[in-house]
Amino acid sequence: MAADEEALMWVEKYRPKTLDEIVDLRDIVQSLKAFMRNPKTMPHLLLAGIPGTGKTTVALCIARQLFGDNWRTFTLELNASDERGIDTVRERVKDFSRYSRAAFGNVPFALIILDESDQMTGPAQTALRRIMETSSRTSRFILICNQSGKIIEPIQSRCAIFRFSKLDRKAMIDHLCCLAGKEKVTLTPEAAERIVDYAEGDLRHAINALQTAAAYRQGFVDEKIVSQVIGEASPKQVQLMINKALNGDFVEARKMMYELMGAYGFSGSEIVRQMQRELFKLSYITPEEKAELANIIGEYDYRLTQGANTDIQLSALLAQFAKVGVSKGETS
Amino acid sequence: MKDNLLWVEKYRPKKIADVLGNEEAKAAFVDWLKNKRRVKKAVLLHGPPGVGKTALVNAAANDFGFTLIEMNASDTRNEKAINKIAGPATSFVALDKFSTESKGNLLFMDEVDGIAGNEDRGGVSAILKIVDASQVPVIMAANNPDVEKLRPLKKVSALIRFQPVRIPLIIAMLRRICQKEHVEAEFEALERIAQNSRGDVRSAINDLQSLAETTRVLTLQDTMALSYRNRDISMDETLRTYFSAKSLLEASILLSRSSVDYDDLLLSVSDNLPRRYADVGELAEAFDLISQADVFRGRIGTENWHLLKYFYNYLAEAAAVSTETYKPFELISPPIRIITLFWTKGKRTTLEGICAKIGQRCHVSRATAKNDFVPFLKIALERQKSSPLASWFKLEPEEVEFLAKMNKF
Amino acid sequence: MVVLNKKAFRLPRVEREKFILLLRLGLEYNREQGTFCVGNYNNIEKLIDVLSEILNVDKVTFLQTCILCGKDFPCQNCTYQEMCATRNLPFHCVCPQCLKEGKSFQEQL
Repeated sequence: MAADEEALMWVEKYRPKTLDEIVDLRDIVQSLKAFMRNPKTMPHLLLAGIPGTGKTTVALCIARQLFGDNWRTFTLELNASDERGIDTVRERVKDFSRYSRAAFGNVPFALIILDESDQMTGPAQTALRRIMETSSRTSRFILICNQSGKIIEPIQSRCAIFRFSKLDRKAMIDHLCCLAGKEKVTLTPEAAERIVDYAEGDLRHAINALQTAAAYRQGFVDEKIVSQVIGEASPKQVQLMINKALNGDFVEARKMMYELMGAYGFSGSEIVRQMQRELFKLSYITPEEKAELANIIGEYDYRLTQGANTDIQLSALLAQFAKVGVSKGETS
Repeated sequence: MKDNLLWVEKYRPKKIADVLGNEEAKAAFVDWLKNKRRVKKAVLLHGPPGVGKTALVNAAANDFGFTLIEMNASDTRNEKAINKIAGPATSFVALDKFSTESKGNLLFMDEVDGIAGNEDRGGVSAILKIVDASQVPVIMAANNPDVEKLRPLKKVSALIRFQPVRIPLIIAMLRRICQKEHVEAEFEALERIAQNSRGDVRSAINDLQSLAETTRVLTLQDTMALSYRNRDISMDETLRTYFSAKSLLEASILLSRSSVDYDDLLLSVSDNLPRRYADVGELAEAFDLISQADVFRGRIGTENWHLLKYFYNYLAEAAAVSTETYKPFELISPPIRIITLFWTKGKRTTLEGICAKIGQRCHVSRATAKNDFVPFLKIALERQKSSPLASWFKLEPEEVEFLAKMNKF
Repeated sequence: MVVLNKKAFRLPRVEREKFILLLRLGLEYNREQGTFCVGNYNNIEKLIDVLSEILNVDKVTFLQTCILCGKDFPCQNCTYQEMCATRNLPFHCVCPQCLKEGKSFQEQL
């Protein structure tokens, strides 16, 4: 991975490399710069917020600022959902701490970025806290998560917490237009609006959608192309599947479930996870109904782990949704 | 061009060496045939349909110059037919349709489990009488020898097991047929036909022929028409009786009597459940019961067979959710089996590998790569396989192929 | 996991009884080369159990012989392993190359 190789995925190519380049997170950047003025006093950091709002970007910028061009040597990037368990995390941190030259200029530590740390179980996080303590002489941790509430208190109290919020529409549209300009792509205003609607505050989704749409018809993106691109993406498919089920159309919903498994290779639990996310976003059902449906998902999520056939459990789940959807329709 | 001949007929193996796969069974059968001092005068060939049992018998007879005397279900009750093989004369003398050059006669009863099934114990004892009386070696073939009723037969026969035929062999066979029949077929299409057949060569060739009826250039897309398969008759009968059961008791009895594979049954019931229950409330209730049956199936695994009764209980209850609303319907078999066949461990590993590469490059987890990046990357590569994105992610050519084809499910 | 070639493979020295058992289960012994080969398949599964015991491994596996090119190859890299009922048994099959290259049967069908 040559440092000067041009990144071809736009989310990477246009990822800000310095804190100053990050225009939307003024307050966060100010506080961070204050910490970094005297690196010796920099605490562990906890960056929390919904996906696509700049947390990883900030972490990487910090690394660059601390270590310069060779930042990769002094930075360990880990993702909690990819590692098999807390023991592998511990091993990798230990190995890394041992071999990184911790003294680099006046930065007395190496950096460990742990993404999706809220995916770790309670016990795993407790073990993580101990790891953070034992390696605090040589390393600093930047923990990234979506929900800070899922991080145990002992870890939270050892970190400086920064909360990232959803970018506002105008800022996102500006980003997209600017990016489109740099890539010599014609982006209609309606198309930009559509993308931002779809992305729901996640800039990464938005940029990926833009790049894909641009690939469709060499550099021209209008609303029609955006609809097509978004329509083929799995969150949309899952949404449609849920809608059909709630409408009582079991057979069509199940067909879509087969599509998701067949075309995307999603496993049962991956589909269930996506259903949980999309359920949360649905606007046409009441919170009570959402709770009921969430319970149903929970029950079948469990049965998925016990049962022999994924498609049977998912079909049963969709059937329950159909029943709830239709009966609610009758009473409303 | 069309000669109205079934390809399963046209390409029937004429020599033992041409019979695909099942080397174990072939060797054992030949040993039994050649052994003049064989211990058991009857042999029972068993295994799933279409894997070569009948084909081997015919090919062997051809190779060794034996004459096959075939008896079917109605013959087993027919005095004249029985006398033909029971009389001492038959072992050496050629009778009406038998060739004078024959090196000997063999009695062949195909699908004995069907014969035996037709009239409870009566069928089996008729067969036993024949085996006993026959002056010539007896060859029997069955799809499922584990049914209680066939136990007496198993006692007097040598057993030879046939396995599903290996996929690569089937693909090569299909390819050969395509060459001879001037059909152009994509590798993925032949692969799909082979996988869908699950080792049943006969149905693979039939599927190929039925698809080739409509097009001489076969693509993967064309094989989607394979959703509806020719099915095992006893499964269809079981399903019909199951769905039309008028009470929980009736359903329970049926399930205890049926000899179909319960894993297949579970899936087939799940496939057809929405056709049985049009009302979503009933469907939901039935599916909840099926789901619980499936949970028990999972718990049984390969050893906890004592839980089987709970499995059957839930299955029976699902049939009886509302017995009044039954209306006859046509059974289907949707593509879910194709999905699980398609997403083999190899393909899953390839996808994981791609996600790991994306995760590395874009600082995201593999799961995020799969959900957020793969769908977009797939579209980009479909448009342009040589996209510089592929080399930026350091994707191997197979990985690029894989992504480009992912959408074409 | 040990992979053997059914046409010729070696075994550590075994006692006479075991040797006779192996021969009865279908192996043949070539005195000059000091190698075994699979002569008949009638007891293949029992044979594999015994071999696994002798070689002190979980499971002994065999190479497959390609019916199109004649080469021997392992099941390890095969895409269809999961659905194969006779995986790792010393039989004939089609190797991944021949399958990919589109070679097909030479003999008349």
